[in-house]
Amino acid sequence: MLCAILATPAALAGKRDYVQLFVAEPYLELKTGPGRGYPVTQVVARGEAVDVLFRRTDYFKVRTERGVEGWASVMDLLKAQYADGSNFSIDLGDRNGFRTHSWEMGVFAGDFDGASLVSGYVARSFNDNMKLELTGSQFIGDQRSGYMLEMGLAQVFAPEWRWSPYVTIGGGIFRVQKDLQRPNLVDRNDETAYIGLGVRYYLTRRFFVRAEGKERVIFTSRNDNEELTEWKVGLAFFF
Amino acid sequence: MESRTRVLLLTRALVAATLLTFSLSGCAWIKGIFGKKKTDEQEQIAREQTEEQEDNAAAPRVIDPEVERREIKRPAIDTENFELGAYYGSMSVEDFASNPVYGVKAVYHVTEDFFFEANYGKTRLGKTSFELLNPGVDPLNLGSGRPFTYYSLSVGYNFLPGEAFVGRKLALNSAFYVSGGLGSVRYAGEDKFALNFGAGYRVLPTDWLTVYIDVQDRVYNSDIFGTTKLTNNLEARIGVTAFF
Repeated sequence: MLCAILATPAALAGKRDYVQLFVAEPYLELKTGPGRGYPVTQVVARGEAVDVLFRRTDYFKVRTERGVEGWASVMDLLKAQYADGSNFSIDLGDRNGFRTHSWEMGVFAGDFDGASLVSGYVARSFNDNMKLELTGSQFIGDQRSGYMLEMGLAQVFAPEWRWSPYVTIGGGIFRVQKDLQRPNLVDRNDETAYIGLGVRYYLTRRFFVRAEGKERVIFTSRNDNEELTEWKVGLAFFF
Repeated sequence: MESRTRVLLLTRALVAATLLTFSLSGCAWIKGIFGKKKTDEQEQIAREQTEEQEDNAAAPRVIDPEVERREIKRPAIDTENFELGAYYGSMSVEDFASNPVYGVKAVYHVTEDFFFEANYGKTRLGKTSFELLNPGVDPLNLGSGRPFTYYSLSVGYNFLPGEAFVGRKLALNSAFYVSGGLGSVRYAGEDKFALNFGAGYRVLPTDWLTVYIDVQDRVYNSDIFGTTKLTNNLEARIGVTAFF
């Protein structure tokens, strides 16, 4: 029963094609898990083939011709070859990946007009310079608390630099949960738009730091719009 | 004198005749040379054309070069870095006793060491000492549900990865991890900025299934009793996640 349940995803996935690689080094080490701390229990000899089943971080689950499964590191597998003799190649989490990648995600903490700000974002790259960002934030202050959900564009000026500056512009929804200055607030949802300036700094592997400041306008249903400043620093990664 | 003049004229006439003869014959000779060369070229071309025709007749083309090259499309390698699941446990909210907690957790493994984690959980506030001593009194006006919710965004680090042996034949991949981050808690109609930190232990019965236990401390400033104080709210839980 347990075995049947555990085998279900594989059965649901059905038969699929895998990348086949041939070992070109004297041998390929296979570990029991996806990490350097797991022991090596199998080796695959030169000339033998492995099917690459899936990837987790920088390790690949592979299956040998004899049906033995194990985890090979990306650095070892890069020395293997396809059937036509060309070298295996795959994206790596490195400095080049910092410049060119499809997705990024991150977490920020900062200050929003005196309130604490927590926010998370996900971004999709159109190219090395232009990104579409979706950001969700919560601000928690003594006077005012609430949420923001925004979408914007970010233009990175020099993605190949370790310190790469960017500008960002966008807008979204601003929702107030608590406002002591206006306790009888009727309309709690407003629109907001921002323009911001920031910098990205590549740390290591897939990680980078982002710091940015935004000038924000809240289009209130009152007589005056509000203009607020926001500062935040965050840790992000790309994939 | 006359004879000498005649001899001179005759000699000149002879020389002129000789030169004329030579010049005419020279032209013919040269003409002969070029004419012959041209004939050789023509013959050569004709011979080649004949040979070519003979070749074509003898060996017709059997290999057609217009063969479509086969496109080799390599299958994409599936990446399984996301983890999604649920948990259940117990949470102690300072001054409000311990109550069951349940929630959802999403993880993205960035490297073999580091991961990002998001949690959203829900529990209930228990009764304060004052409420226990004075049954039927609700001084904080918390109502009947008394919900307490939180979310957190954390960064975690796997350490001591290895294998856990269950019996003599089964070895499961496992890892200890520590994590810490920020988020907020919401109770009694108020949001509070919260920091969290903790540690856990994860076992993988298969490559895609994770069972874990973990303990988190959620720290925030509470002012529900009129004075602001830093509270530590411990949460212990067991959960299951699936990689995809």
